[in-house]
Amino acid sequence: MNATQDRYIAAPGTAPLVQLKGIAKYFPGVVANQDVDLDVLPGEIHALLGENGAGKSTLMNILTGIYQPDAGEITIDGYAKEFATPLDAIAAGIGMVHQHFKLVQAFTVAENIHLGWSETPRLASARKLEARTKALAERFNLHVRADARINELSTGEQQRVEILRVLAREARILILDEPTAVLTPAEARELFKALREFTSRGNAVIFISHKLDEVLEISDRITILRGGRRIATHDTSECNPRMLARLMVGRDIVLADMRQRPPGAAPRSAEPILRLESVSALDDGGKTALHDITLDIHAGEIVGIAGVAGNGQRELSHVLTGLRRIASGRIVVDGAPIGAGDAAAFSELGIGHIPEDRLRSGLAPAMSVAINAVMREYKKPPIGSGGLYRSGAATLLAREIAKAADVAVPDFAMPVRNLSGGNQQRLVARREMRIAHKVLVAAYPSRGLDVGAINTMLRYIVELRDAGAGIVLISEDLEELLNLSDRIAVLYEGRLMGALENDKIDVEQIGLLMGGRTVRKEAA
Amino acid sequence: MLQGLRLQRLPSVQPGIALAMRALAIAIVVLAASIALLVAGEDPIALGAQLVSATFSSTFGMEDFGLLVIPLILTGLSVAVGQQIGIWNIGAEGQFLVGAFAATAVGLFVPGPAWLILPLIIAAGALGGVVWILVPTLARAFVGVNELITTLLLNFVAALLVYYVSTGPWRDRVGMSNSSTPRITVEMPEFWGLIHWGLPIAILMALAAAAILAFSRWGYEVRLSGSNPSAAAYAGIAVRRHIITVMLLSGLIAGVAGAFELAGTVHRLQGGISNNFGYLGIMVAVLARNSCVGVIFTGILMAFILNSGIILQTQGITTSAVLAMTGAILFLTAIGDELAHYRILRAGSTRA
Ligand SMILES: Nc1ncnc2c1ncn2[C@@H]1O[C@H](COP(=O)(O)OP(=O)(O)OP(=O)(O)O)[C@@H](O)[C@H]1O
Ligand SMILES: [Mg+2]
Repeated sequence: MNATQDRYIAAPGTAPLVQLKGIAKYFPGVVANQDVDLDVLPGEIHALLGENGAGKSTLMNILTGIYQPDAGEITIDGYAKEFATPLDAIAAGIGMVHQHFKLVQAFTVAENIHLGWSETPRLASARKLEARTKALAERFNLHVRADARINELSTGEQQRVEILRVLAREARILILDEPTAVLTPAEARELFKALREFTSRGNAVIFISHKLDEVLEISDRITILRGGRRIATHDTSECNPRMLARLMVGRDIVLADMRQRPPGAAPRSAEPILRLESVSALDDGGKTALHDITLDIHAGEIVGIAGVAGNGQRELSHVLTGLRRIASGRIVVDGAPIGAGDAAAFSELGIGHIPEDRLRSGLAPAMSVAINAVMREYKKPPIGSGGLYRSGAATLLAREIAKAADVAVPDFAMPVRNLSGGNQQRLVARREMRIAHKVLVAAYPSRGLDVGAINTMLRYIVELRDAGAGIVLISEDLEELLNLSDRIAVLYEGRLMGALENDKIDVEQIGLLMGGRTVRKEAA
Repeated sequence: MLQGLRLQRLPSVQPGIALAMRALAIAIVVLAASIALLVAGEDPIALGAQLVSATFSSTFGMEDFGLLVIPLILTGLSVAVGQQIGIWNIGAEGQFLVGAFAATAVGLFVPGPAWLILPLIIAAGALGGVVWILVPTLARAFVGVNELITTLLLNFVAALLVYYVSTGPWRDRVGMSNSSTPRITVEMPEFWGLIHWGLPIAILMALAAAAILAFSRWGYEVRLSGSNPSAAAYAGIAVRRHIITVMLLSGLIAGVAGAFELAGTVHRLQGGISNNFGYLGIMVAVLARNSCVGVIFTGILMAFILNSGIILQTQGITTSAVLAMTGAILFLTAIGDELAHYRILRAGSTRA
């Protein structure tokens, strides 16, 4: 909030870069947008806030030509525009980084940056493209490994590629849909610096986020959507978190204190319920991603795994849920060793998994909400007795899960990708919690959720613990980890360091561990 | 330069648009054929009317037509079933041939009463189809070898095999023909006129496949595996095992088609017995958008086109013209399907 010195000040009376007027968009059974007005001025970072399903992504999809509005006008730089396609929008200087990335997984970073770009030199060698990519990365201050394939990258790294891809095309209006959901605080700061630099040249940013602190820090103005309508637009300097939360939800949000154990809660079990003994595992590329990990999860406790994404988090959650074979070591559930790499056996034992990438592995985006919702329970009655799949019963269960997850679904036969990002996350989380009698492995469970939903989600996790499940909470959000965990371990370059009791933790220490430095043993 | 024309790919296609694209493809081909006929001095409308009446207003016509429907539904079903899990079975032709071959072996060399031999013949056909897709299946499931090439190549081997036995060791030494086996004594019972029970059975098989996919746990797992293999693995589904069963099932259906063709329609094994049904099955499935119920209708449509070709032959128009027409329909449908994914942009608002 202090870095105002090089802010671009638009001359009074300058036309807004973007002007939306009376935008409406309807989907069957849903009013995604109605009567939405939005002005974005040159040089400003304009935040868009709203609950899950409020219509933020839809509005931006309209501005970028992915959807056509059912009513309303788009004016860019004072000229009325109609975007028949995203390319029209790109040509008008509008670029967007989506909530779900659209990179080609099997291509390198350099290839993805240059894909479908008119300035890509014809017949350029891989080396040439990589050199160009490096130059772009330097220019926009976004570090990417030009020759790495996308599927080798962490989610945070993939996002930098997406942003670079847009900036390279000389966008003047950059739209970021929940960009920091997948970034570490340090990465987020880097991003903000890049954004400030970008707007200081008279460009504008539209920034969708559920993190209020961050919105207050980075934005100049804030527009709030609720139920598809615009509720208010304010200068950020007039805003505070409470008021924003109230505007979004329409009521006050009481943040629960998660550390208290209610009377009657299950105590931490003496014996671990899930145990990794000297487990090593490879990543998809065959490199060792986990080195000699030993970890005990007891019933009735939350073990936080801190660390920067890409240090083995993905592989750890895979190993804990039977999705990945282990190279050496042993996995013991309830005292009995279990064969790794048999996801069905793990889930039947009562181990649930909220995966880090819901769209790639947790859901089949093209299939119906019902089919996706019952993925864990389709074998059980009433859906799956006698080798049958009763779709009526599946829809009923899906309805129940959606209700518990607080997701409004107009039609359970529609593809699950039609749900808003946060609502997909809620659905997956509820689905997994239903089966997690023993253990829940939750990777970034609050990613993409709105303030109220995060609160609810964390409360459910705590309730699950109090009911006697062991929780592994993988997160980059230290505050969340400290607020919830009974113990915290740090994952760095595939090694697990320390499993400190929460009461004995100081944040500095964790920070050091996350950066790979060992802690001097302190006399306890 | 074509700088101004660009395409944007959408993730999914609305079924309505895809169906419209199919209708359009067929309409374009019929129109083009009509123009060709006009140029050749024929009256396309009169010919068309003649085709419809020749097919539907006489018992003969209906019989010929119905006999074509049976193999086309089944080979179409074979391809459509593979597609449920993302497999392209290009080898229905070969599986059909080997199915017919195995059925002939039983029909010629296994003595016994018809009520026993007939089921054996069909089982042999099914087994033949399974055997013929076995190697591509294992190669795909365990080594990741693309099934497109392996299944296709085996078609040629199957054609050679059938040609060899029907002109060599199993040749009919009594009859006039040198290029086919003797007539097998058992045959499929008739259902309506010359049309044998293969027709209702084929339709039932298609309906059963659709029902199993929609209403069984196995079908659920297969559909999930086909839609997103990593999500299926995450749900604990044995994706590889399902790929194997689905591919074998696909081969089985094509093999049964071969057995029906042999025991119900042709009665003796000969080189051209497959009549391209395997390849046409790809088209039947594509036109049906891989819907198992849909192949019943597109199979009928394809049979009508083929039958028209045979009738046109009597008018001095060669069958290759009809093959060209079917090829053109498939070609245009494939293009239409791709196009349905895209939106075409005008150059107007694009900066260079
Ligand atoms: N293609 C679609 N078909 C049907 N409904 C859709 C489609 N896209 C979005 N919706 C619906 O429109 C509403 C708004 O969705 P949108 O994705 O814009 O929400 P959002 O504000 O971005 O939420 P989140 O914070 O969860 O990402 C939701 O109810 C969603 O289910
Ligand atoms: Mg969204």
